[in-house]
Amino acid sequence: MAEPGATAVSVQGLRKRYGDLEAVRGVSFQVARGEVFGLLGPNGAGKTTAVEILEGFRGRDAGEVRVLGYDPASRPRALRERIGIVLQECAVEPYLTVREVLRRNASYYPAPRPVAEVAELVGLAAMADVKVAKLSGGQQRRLDVGLGIIGRPELIFLDEPTTGFDPTARRGAWDLVRSLSDGGATIILTTHYMDEAEALADRVAVIARGQIVAEGPPSSLGGRDVSEAKLRFRLPEDCSSTSLPVPVHEVGDLLEVATTDEVEVLHLLTGWSLAEGVPLLGLSVERLTLEDVYLRLTAGGDAGGTVGAPGALADGVPAGRSAERWTPAP
Amino acid sequence: MDPGTVSAIAAPASGPGLVRDLRLVARQLRYEQLAFWRNRTGALFTVGFSVIFLLLLSASGANQRSNVIGNLKIVQYYTPGFAAYGVMSACYNNLGIVLVVRRETGLLKRLRLSPIPTWVLFGAILASNAVIALVQVALLLLIGRFAFGVVLPDQWAALLLALLVGVVCFSALGVAISTVVPSQDSAGPIISLSFFVLLFLSGLWFPLKAGSSLAKISNYFPVHHLIVAFFAPFESKLGASPWAWGDLGTVAIWGAIATIIAVRRFAWEPRRH
Repeated sequence: MAEPGATAVSVQGLRKRYGDLEAVRGVSFQVARGEVFGLLGPNGAGKTTAVEILEGFRGRDAGEVRVLGYDPASRPRALRERIGIVLQECAVEPYLTVREVLRRNASYYPAPRPVAEVAELVGLAAMADVKVAKLSGGQQRRLDVGLGIIGRPELIFLDEPTTGFDPTARRGAWDLVRSLSDGGATIILTTHYMDEAEALADRVAVIARGQIVAEGPPSSLGGRDVSEAKLRFRLPEDCSSTSLPVPVHEVGDLLEVATTDEVEVLHLLTGWSLAEGVPLLGLSVERLTLEDVYLRLTAGGDAGGTVGAPGALADGVPAGRSAERWTPAP
Repeated sequence: MDPGTVSAIAAPASGPGLVRDLRLVARQLRYEQLAFWRNRTGALFTVGFSVIFLLLLSASGANQRSNVIGNLKIVQYYTPGFAAYGVMSACYNNLGIVLVVRRETGLLKRLRLSPIPTWVLFGAILASNAVIALVQVALLLLIGRFAFGVVLPDQWAALLLALLVGVVCFSALGVAISTVVPSQDSAGPIISLSFFVLLFLSGLWFPLKAGSSLAKISNYFPVHHLIVAFFAPFESKLGASPWAWGDLGTVAIWGAIATIIAVRRFAWEPRRH
């Protein structure tokens, strides 16, 4: 039945329909053992449904699914004992203490991690005797993470694990994910944050409208490693752009050059700047970010060339790029 | 607190198959009990309420006798009545509301995703309700006996049977009603209101006149019959049978219907999907 192989999860032609809406329309992917696999996509794209089918929570209409060698549709207990799940919304009995909840859930598994170790891992050791209702939102979520890993899962599902976290807590969560991955666990991560996917995932798949529209390592997704770079700068107010050695176009109050050979163009521009004594104010070189690629892939039809521009974000999701500027507290 | 003092290794449920699962039921039962008694509102409404009402109603005329109830002392009538109330309150009112809250806050989904078998979970919930009911009945009987001189039943087995049937059937009704409540906000109003209307119709507060239209209506519902089934073991000294088979049968039929509804409609995830 359940064969330990090199593949942790394999999905072939997965379909799921709710009434008139086909939420998942023929999705296929594989996740290797030990891999951190990111599932990206806007709300309603079908990623939660797909994950819930893998977890055995939801049935499917068509397709082949194997999770650690089992078909999750019949919810085999042996499978549930080997996976760990961290949901987006934390849900823990308010009247029990941290220790009680951890102990209770530990008893569901054949070989759980020690309760003290888990409390330590998620930074709740000092709160062990506090009732869940008294915990802050962030602490409750950390407890939820603790419940997800208490059974020593071989495969962990993390559903937007850092939504609502402050930057420090996010980095802490990332460290935990990395250490779980180093410990050999396979991780399937859904997220809205592109920097998170980039920081954690070995491979990502982008789901839009129920289908996978791109798949690959975050560094090369959508060909971003070979795509154009953008050079941006301003000139002092009394200078005209007509004397520049390369053609530019205006983007807001910035001048922009799009090129696949940024070394050459930079050389021309900086040479010109030094020779003419005109500074290139705020000079920057930007490659297509993962978020640019993501927005392009998930845009409903024509994105109108505003890819990556502020305000083009779906669902009011905070921009990954602005998150990069966040400075974690020392 | 020092992290070093945080518990030893959580011992896993071990032993083969059924033994392991029964042990898991016992563990889960423990946490169900903790959650129940620590939820002061629920515990007070269920256990405290019946005790307070018994005290109030009985103290106001404990030793008076009423012709409507076969010239019994009033307290002799209220003690089994509130014992039945306790069972119904724990199993129907409390369980129904708790299940809606657990469903809507995602607790049920979490349990569904964990390895705990469904039967273990529901077995523990049922056992927990039985414990609450037993505690409550014991408390009421002690108060009735020692504060008001209530005559205790001859046939304890009949009382235990009524308790058992009540716990099982009203737990099923509690699960069933939780499946028709759409949201956490409406859980209290829908479940408690339906419960209190039925209690009112069923002669808990005042004895029903035989043949009255209230009596006819309440005859169709299980609440009245469970009260009668609790009453019978106390009444046997008057020559009646302590075994209220007909009433228990009606309760059982309701329990069976509720079980079918519960199994068909039970949802593990919030309704707002």
